[in-house]
Parts: sequence; C-alpha cells; structure tokens
Amino acid sequence: MPRLRRYARSLVFDTAVADDLVQTALERALQRWRQFEPQRELLVWLLAIAHHAFLDGLRRDARFTVVDPQEASDRQDALAADPGVDMPLRLDLVAALGRLSPEQREPLLLVTLEQLSYAECAEVLGIPIGTVMSRVSRARVALRAALDGRARNPQATVLRRVV
Amino acid sequence: MNSTHPHDDELSAWLDGQGSAEQRAQLHAWLLEHPEQAAQVRLWAADRDALRARFDPVLHEPLPEALLATVREGGRARTWPWAQAAMAAGLLVAGGLLGAGLTWQWQGQVNAVQAIAPGTWTHRAAVAHAVYTPEVKHPVEVSVVEGNAAEQRAQEQHLARWLTKRLDMPVRLFDLRAQGFELVGGRLLPDAAGPSAQLMYQDGSGQRVTVYLRKPEAGTRTAFRFQRDGEVGLFYWAEDGYGCALVGNLPRERLLALAEAVYRQVESAIVPGAPAASVPAPQPAPIKPMS
Repeated sequence: MPRLRRYARSLVFDTAVADDLVQTALERALQRWRQFEPQRELLVWLLAIAHHAFLDGLRRDARFTVVDPQEASDRQDALAADPGVDMPLRLDLVAALGRLSPEQREPLLLVTLEQLSYAECAEVLGIPIGTVMSRVSRARVALRAALDGRARNPQATVLRRVV
Repeated sequence: MNSTHPHDDELSAWLDGQGSAEQRAQLHAWLLEHPEQAAQVRLWAADRDALRARFDPVLHEPLPEALLATVREGGRARTWPWAQAAMAAGLLVAGGLLGAGLTWQWQGQVNAVQAIAPGTWTHRAAVAHAVYTPEVKHPVEVSVVEGNAAEQRAQEQHLARWLTKRLDMPVRLFDLRAQGFELVGGRLLPDAAGPSAQLMYQDGSGQRVTVYLRKPEAGTRTAFRFQRDGEVGLFYWAEDGYGCALVGNLPRERLLALAEAVYRQVESAIVPGAPAASVPAPQPAPIKPMS
C-alpha cells in the first residue's frame, strides 16, 4: 500500500485526490481478488488496477490533468507543508511532471519510481513493451525540456533529437 | 561495435537496466565515446533521482485510517477468507517496504489479536502442537503410516470416521502432499468444553505441522486470521459448525500455503466419510522415520 500511495501521489500530486485513487484501487482489488493469479506479482496487479482507476478518473474529472495557474498556487501551498527537498526543485519537478501527458507520465513513473521492468510496466498499462520503451524515452525528453524551461506549450513538449 | 547513433529509446532503456548484456555493453561503450549524449543520459538519471527524492517520502507516511479500514474490511472475508486475508496482508507489505512503524500499525489496528492469548482455543491448538510434535514414540494416537498400503488406508478411514463421530463435525484427512507434507495420523484431545482433534503432518525433513479441529460454539464465525507466539505460527478460522487451525514452526508464507490447501479442501464438496488421503491412488512407499 505505501507503494500504491507513492504511485498515486506522483500521478495526481494532491494527497487527498491521490488517496481517493488508492481507495478506489483497493476497493476494486478486494472485489476482484478472485481474478488475481497467485503467480502474478501482487504489486503489478495492484498498479494495473490503480492505472485503470486513474484513467477512469481522468475521464470523469479534468482536475487530474489540467495544470492551470490557480492550481499551481494551490499545489505550492500543499507542497509548502511537505518538508524535505528544496522548494524550487520540487515545484519545477512537479510542474514539469504535470505537463507530461498521462500516456507519458505513467510509464515514466512506473519505470523510475516503482522501478518496474519494461515488461512489468507493459503489463500494468496493457501496452506493448516497445511502446513502453518509446513512451519512457519521450517522457524523459519532455520532462527535461520542461525543466530546462524550453517547453512553453505543454502540447509541444515532445522534442525529438535530431542527429 | 555498432557506431551508429543509438536511438533515444535505446539510451533510455539502457538507463533503466533493460536490454541484453551485449546490447548494454555496446551502448555503454558508445556513451563513453560520446560525452554529449552521455551528459544527456546523466541528466535523465538526475531527473529520475529527483523524482524518487520527491515521492519516496510518501512511503514513510503513516497510512490514512480510511485506507487501513478498507483493507481491514476487505480482510474480513465473505467466502474465501484466506485469500482476502492474504491479500490484505499483501497490500500492506507489497514490495517489502514496510517499516517497523507500519508493522506496528498492522498489528495494533488491523489485527489486534496477533499474539496467541491464553485461554483461547487457538492457544490450546498451539500448546497441543508444542506438546506432540517433538514426540518420537507416540506423536499420534492413530497412526496411518504403519503397515502396508491397505492397512494404512484402513487406518485413515478409521481415523476420519472416529473423529467425525467424536467431534460431531465432518473431519477430513487433508491431503497436503502437494505442499510436501504427509499425514502421520491424528489424536483426540480435550478442548474447553468438549473434544477436539489434532492431525499431524510431516515433511521429508521431519518438520511437522498440525491441524487442530474443533466444533465452535453455535453462531461463531471468525475470518481467516494469523497468530504467532514465538516460533509457533497459526492460521485459523471458524465457521458455523467448523473450527480449524493450522499450526507450525514455519515461515508465515509456508503456513499460509498449507492453510490455504486445508481451507480449500474443507470448502470443496466431498463425499461424506471419504477421507481425502484415501481418494488418490496409493503413493509409492513414503519414507517416514516414524517409530
């Protein structure tokens, strides 16, 4: 459950919204435990349920994705209550993460934060491993671009390297 | 060595430890010769570390009561308590990142009766386990490992019928061979207000586990639970007319696997009076250092 909470927090940032997501995922998991095959990794299964709950939330509620200035200031307040890492880094990082599309954010977080293999990540998200690979890579490029302040338009953050 | 510029995807995968050893070695060598791209990968690594630094503290936050309650309620099962209890436990320990504080919470809030309390029937089950499992000469009252195969089958049937009659509940001789345990036999025991029974199983290394059976008080219903007292752990549950505990000095996961097998066999519909151990074809003579 701590890892589920961490993943949810990294997806939606706000503690209360994230815990709602965890709550939904837990309830679904407990309802559907019959579908759980013991040979599967429990965490992967739970993350997959959380992923679907997240997507449902996106469809239902735009607050998961839209990063507007008001929200950024709310977020700043929330972060201020969170001691630890230095403020600018956290703000930048969360803001940059918020600019990634969910399609990029999820695989990046699963691979970096949760340290899943690409195969596990593919299983969680229900996409091919090759797609995981390209999405993680694009997410990295986009995140870096956002942190470098190069991406003003969130929709234009996918910068391909030209070689 | 491949001198063409690797795709970002490949460098990113390299950073994540993906790909074959050969691919990884090639990319590593390539990065050593291309400092600009290596710097880019280092930035990615820095972003990764920053993400972890930002979100890892969530792991150490106390769990909100609402979430604990969800797991707790889910753990109080309806039809297959063992699975939900196991899952509830799994939810709390997923990834093995459980701190001591959380363990305490789990024990304190989710499962207040972790220790085996004296005077309870699970305590009697644990004591019976401790008393009889070290026994060399007379570990059981009715042995099912003496004589030839036919005699053993006869003893199994006798044991099941006898205990069923005395406990006034259907007693099956559980088949735990898939988990590596062979039935040794069983005995009748005094419980608080009536009889109980103990079935003993042993694996190839001589490790023994026992199943304690009793008819619970009317209306008793206890979801699948785990208790531990020192080295002895037990999984137990009680339903209308049927109380069962699996006791052993084994890691929790192994006990769970055994308890799960017992639970499944209790639940599965069987022909009354046909003990489980007598249903499969006779096995090749088991090696049992029994006296």
